[in-house]
Amino acid sequence: MAMNPMEQFEVKPFLIEHPLFSIGGHPIFFTNQAFFMVVVVLAASLFLTLTVSKGRLVPTRGQSLAEISYEFVGSMINSTMGHDGLKYFPFIFTIFMFVLFSNFFGLIPYTFTITSQIAVTFALSCLVIGVMIFVGLKKHGFRFFSLFVPQAPWYLLILLVPIEVISFLTRPISLSVRLFANMLAGHTLLAVFASFVVLLGAAGGVLSVVSVAPFILIVAIFALEMLVAGLQAYVFAILTCIYLNEALHLHDHH
Amino acid sequence: MPPSEPDDLKRLGERVDAARRKSAGPDQNAEPTPIGIAFRLGTELVSAVIVGTGLGMGIDWAFQHWAHLSTRPVGLVVMFVLGSIAGIRNVYRTSQQISAKAAPKEK
Repeated sequence: MAMNPMEQFEVKPFLIEHPLFSIGGHPIFFTNQAFFMVVVVLAASLFLTLTVSKGRLVPTRGQSLAEISYEFVGSMINSTMGHDGLKYFPFIFTIFMFVLFSNFFGLIPYTFTITSQIAVTFALSCLVIGVMIFVGLKKHGFRFFSLFVPQAPWYLLILLVPIEVISFLTRPISLSVRLFANMLAGHTLLAVFASFVVLLGAAGGVLSVVSVAPFILIVAIFALEMLVAGLQAYVFAILTCIYLNEALHLHDHH
Repeated sequence: MPPSEPDDLKRLGERVDAARRKSAGPDQNAEPTPIGIAFRLGTELVSAVIVGTGLGMGIDWAFQHWAHLSTRPVGLVVMFVLGSIAGIRNVYRTSQQISAKAAPKEK
């Protein structure tokens, strides 16, 4: 039993003798993180294709799950970005399903939570901000940069434009830290309470009886973590929608 | 029994509608938990300060490296202050968004 609650987040390479390839002399390994990313992507794709392949009028449980997630993201886009946001549906749906599946996969014991790695969440949020900048530049050209210019007299703009730029640059950080910290905190908490159960159980006597208390707490925290897993995927997706909406409709929100 | 069929269908339709309303309700207005709001505001504030400080250190480093001007604390101090202001502005904007989302429900 692991007594170090952070051990579950260690990235370990498979096949140390055989790196996949190397970049600038630095070997790149196939790690447990990469493995679970493949698993998550495969599971999400298989789930979505297999459940709807029959296309029944009266859906099975699996099919209705897939349809609910489809409609959920669809109405989320409709309510935040309006009708013309629906052409970004594939992008947002992919991000939502990836985050959702990796959060839920992480809750299965002995798996690796890929969203508990800041490298993964930061790469995801950089992708989101990159797409946002690309969409904004493509639709509005250089008028996109009016996002950084609030309506104010010119002498205030000297101060306000740098503030707006910094506030824009914080987006990838706050987006990634929110997801990463939520997953990290929840899984650490679970591991800490699990080690309490083992320590108290091994102590013998009255303490073994007391070890039921942290066990019950684990069940409760696990239920909470299920909620957090879904909620964080939702928050990530809806913030993607909000950012894309800002790039699509400049200054409409003011 | 042909006459009862439309009734059955109608009842099924009503049940489907009811179930749809029930399932669409909580999902759409996913109520942010208080701790979620607190965490969100916290990250907004802290990440802006981090970005500001990082930019300030970067500016100082760039002046030192390329222009050979020793501006060391100035860029850091200025950008730290700007970053803090941006953080507070972020918090203000986010809380406005949250209350704007909560407002229609109170009516």
